[in-house]
Amino acid sequence: MKSAFTNPRSGRAPARLRTVSLNPSRNMGRSLLVALLVILALGAAGGAFAWYKFFREEAQPEWITSDPDMRFKYGSIGAERDAGIPYWIFYVLPRMFPDKLPGPGGYAAFGVVWEEGQELPVGFSKKVVGFARVANNCASCHTTSYRMQADAAPVFVPTGPNHTLNLWAFFRFLVDCAKDPRFNADNLMAEINLVTDLSYIDRLLYRFAIIPITRKRLLEREQQFAWLYREDFPPWGRGRDDAMNLTKYFMIRWPMDDSFGPTDMPSLWNLGKYRADQGMRMNFAGDSHDAYSVVIDSALGLLGAPPKDRDEFLGEVRWLIEYVSAKRAPPYPFAIDTAGAERGKRVFAATCAGCHASARTGTVIPLAEVGTSPDRIDTWNERAAREANAVVEDMGIERAGLVEKPLSGYVAAFLDGIWLRAPYLHNGSVPSLRDLLEPAAQRPTTFWRGYDLYDPDRVGFVTRGIEAERSGTLHDVAAKGGSNSGHAFGTTLPAADKVDLLEYLKTL
Amino acid sequence: MNTPESAPRTHRPRHARALLRILVLLPWLLILLAGGYALVRFLPDEPVTYPDPVEHFKYGSTGGERESGFPYWIWQALPTVCAEHLPGPGYGSLGFIFEDGRDLPVGVSKRRHLGIDRVFLNCAACHTGLVRDTPAAPARLVIGMPAHRFDIRGFQRFFFECAAGPKFSREFIVPEIERLSGGLGLIDRYLVYPVAIALMRERLLMLRGRFGFVFDQPPWGPGRVDTFNAAKVLFNFPVAQLPAHERLGASDFPSIWNQRKRMQRDDGERMELHWDGNNTHTEERNKSAAFGTGTTPPTIDLAAIARVETWLLDLAPPAWPLPVDNALAARGAAVYARYCADCHGASGSDFAGPKVGHVTPIAHIATDRARLDSYTRELALNQATLYAGYPHRFRHFRKTSGYANMPLDGIWLRAPYLHNGSVPTLRDLLEPSAARPRCFERGNTVIDALRVGFARAADPAQCTASTGTDSTAADLFMLDTTLPGNGSAGHEGPAYGTDLPAADKDALVEYLKTF
Repeated sequence: MKSAFTNPRSGRAPARLRTVSLNPSRNMGRSLLVALLVILALGAAGGAFAWYKFFREEAQPEWITSDPDMRFKYGSIGAERDAGIPYWIFYVLPRMFPDKLPGPGGYAAFGVVWEEGQELPVGFSKKVVGFARVANNCASCHTTSYRMQADAAPVFVPTGPNHTLNLWAFFRFLVDCAKDPRFNADNLMAEINLVTDLSYIDRLLYRFAIIPITRKRLLEREQQFAWLYREDFPPWGRGRDDAMNLTKYFMIRWPMDDSFGPTDMPSLWNLGKYRADQGMRMNFAGDSHDAYSVVIDSALGLLGAPPKDRDEFLGEVRWLIEYVSAKRAPPYPFAIDTAGAERGKRVFAATCAGCHASARTGTVIPLAEVGTSPDRIDTWNERAAREANAVVEDMGIERAGLVEKPLSGYVAAFLDGIWLRAPYLHNGSVPSLRDLLEPAAQRPTTFWRGYDLYDPDRVGFVTRGIEAERSGTLHDVAAKGGSNSGHAFGTTLPAADKVDLLEYLKTL
Repeated sequence: MNTPESAPRTHRPRHARALLRILVLLPWLLILLAGGYALVRFLPDEPVTYPDPVEHFKYGSTGGERESGFPYWIWQALPTVCAEHLPGPGYGSLGFIFEDGRDLPVGVSKRRHLGIDRVFLNCAACHTGLVRDTPAAPARLVIGMPAHRFDIRGFQRFFFECAAGPKFSREFIVPEIERLSGGLGLIDRYLVYPVAIALMRERLLMLRGRFGFVFDQPPWGPGRVDTFNAAKVLFNFPVAQLPAHERLGASDFPSIWNQRKRMQRDDGERMELHWDGNNTHTEERNKSAAFGTGTTPPTIDLAAIARVETWLLDLAPPAWPLPVDNALAARGAAVYARYCADCHGASGSDFAGPKVGHVTPIAHIATDRARLDSYTRELALNQATLYAGYPHRFRHFRKTSGYANMPLDGIWLRAPYLHNGSVPTLRDLLEPSAARPRCFERGNTVIDALRVGFARAADPAQCTASTGTDSTAADLFMLDTTLPGNGSAGHEGPAYGTDLPAADKDALVEYLKTF
């Protein structure tokens, strides 16, 4: 074998043979080595190229990383790697598929919180992982906005509950775009070439790899999002998400069931007030043990995959907890009748404090006692909790985790910044605090949620009128998951006491 | 065996070999030739350039031809092919200005791109005007003034309707091109122009669909444009889904002199630019306007735009060309200082004033709010994504709640007045809105030396006659201020000088001639 290979070669290069070596087999070994080295070098170059174009990570710019508020609003939590959408695809989708948006205005039509002059809405992070990608962070659901007058600029509150975001429509939009036959490399590249000047190599990568892979990844979500397309379920509406069903269909990949329980986005300010050691539970139905577990689980939901670097991930989680724990609810921005608030404080002490300012606060109140819609409880159970805990444990992440017990009621909420947490009840079924103090039968049966003009009279957001209809979604208390029943507390108070109580609630 | 036939037979293989060799080589030769031709023909990207900054402004490229350019010969052929969609003969009937000896009007630039000369608008189309000092005087070209005669909606309509009709095809256009150009080569005749015509038609029909809403608005008339609804089209907003009050916003082209002075105001910030003050940065404002000249982020000619931008920093308006009553103007200066200077600057060249370049809330200024409402927060947010990936990504667009107070340099050339051009003269603007003309003709070039503005027909009673149509062949347009978006109310009351004695108003108008 050796001679068969070496003889012709030595015949072709006698000079080399003479001067370098007279041993054909040694020469053979050398040329094999050279060939191997060439192949290795080529492989390494290819690998380096692939790594550079698909996996290298660039730190986000300093204006994001050096400022805590900016980091919360625009900082990456690592979701770009698996859940990220390639930047230029994300950029052109609303231009190509405006028919699939809930209204005109590009991504603004989803009710995202978006600061003027910013390239991306709050809660959308841009990071280079091989190429620029866009993903979400906590701020997408946990930064809110309100306006004091219709033509005033909105005020943004990081860690506040996003009551304008139409997350349901956003999820569907991405899947619907991918399903459309117009979602192909020709059309996307034509649109991308109108807005940027990609290098020839990047164009090829987009055309032959990034676009087809993105389409495939988006389509893979369709099955898991099937319950968003059910005709017998209403849309979530702005400011709500069906959180435990998201966990059920994405984290533990259960088949779809008939449960449906969207809830309001919660506020995150002063997160440290939840004391697990005092028997407090987290999430609306008390389904999680502590803040650390909730932040981990929510962040994992955004990542859509196990974290690449566990320590980095847990470091980010700890930073987030520190950041949101240090935040406080913003003070009520309108005038408060201090005398009325003083009287209201006594009403509060007699009527509300038993649950909302006592040892019971933050603990689970039995469903029979609070009487609100059970739909949220029905979306989750003990077995799901066990499976989800196992998934997280398999990632090597230690946390107290989800409560492995049947859910029995709803957590009595802390009321800090309650003025900015409308609509009310866990499922956002009551538009204002004033309405909440009416018996369920007298509360509004339909209203528009998602308009950010504040109504200081009713203590909540404006839910009627042309603008509310335009920027909002209709909440119907008769629809599944929408019931406004229960929490009859304080509904029988004399009218004057209610007025005083409202005034006091503004001060919290 | 040596038959006569055998002799050729013995030669045949040699011939066949040669033939074969040629046959094998021929396609390669042809490909080489075609490739060489294509390289020379289709690769060059060369604008027509002008050393003189004024010529560059009038005829130089912004890069818009690359993405949006019309093939030069199609541009030249269409006024004949689709004459029925023009108000009169040629592009001049749309208010384009042709200088002597020029084949293209002011505001149209030319670039060799993709193998043909392509043309499209540049800044001068909307920012150059014609003025006559007296009815008998020749028209003068004034650089940087609003193109008060250019009917940009008529321009759009012409191309859209032509493309939608049966004549936008090879069989109508190519013969006209042959007639005008004196004949086309085979490749141009059978390949380049048929393809160009098809592509241009497809593009125009797409734009026609997106801009359809424009033709549901009351006619703009010459000198006006609905800038920010066009900006929504850039993002492919489904404009029809927007509420009616956001779908209307025609307002006057602005003057573009003295940009440097607009980059600062009393509080150290930059002046708020655009009628509603939605941006403070001239650089962004200019690149934003350049979308109107057909540019896109990858195709804009930044060097060419920068040249215009730099030149505009200190370009000043021409002086009032007619006599001024200095004594009267001096009295007017005192009135101006008291009533106008805070918002409009110390003089026509000194823009100092505590409110100059600031937005006055709509409740206070009370002028027609259509233009304000046409600019929405959603649009501002989307504009912040423009030029993403470039260092000059837009960062300064903001939704405001009023109209910006403008410096008044060259105000005599900026008639009609108010942002929507709803008041014909300065003297009319000093009357309460009830006493302002209900309608008037736009598009005249003759200076009204008494009231300051452009002369208008004496009889406003014919108001209703020509509303509902674009500019007529007579090239004057009757603006009806009772139509949506055309309101002439506002900028009135004691603070705005409309309660002053007539003599003071006359003096003030005299003083404003010196701006």
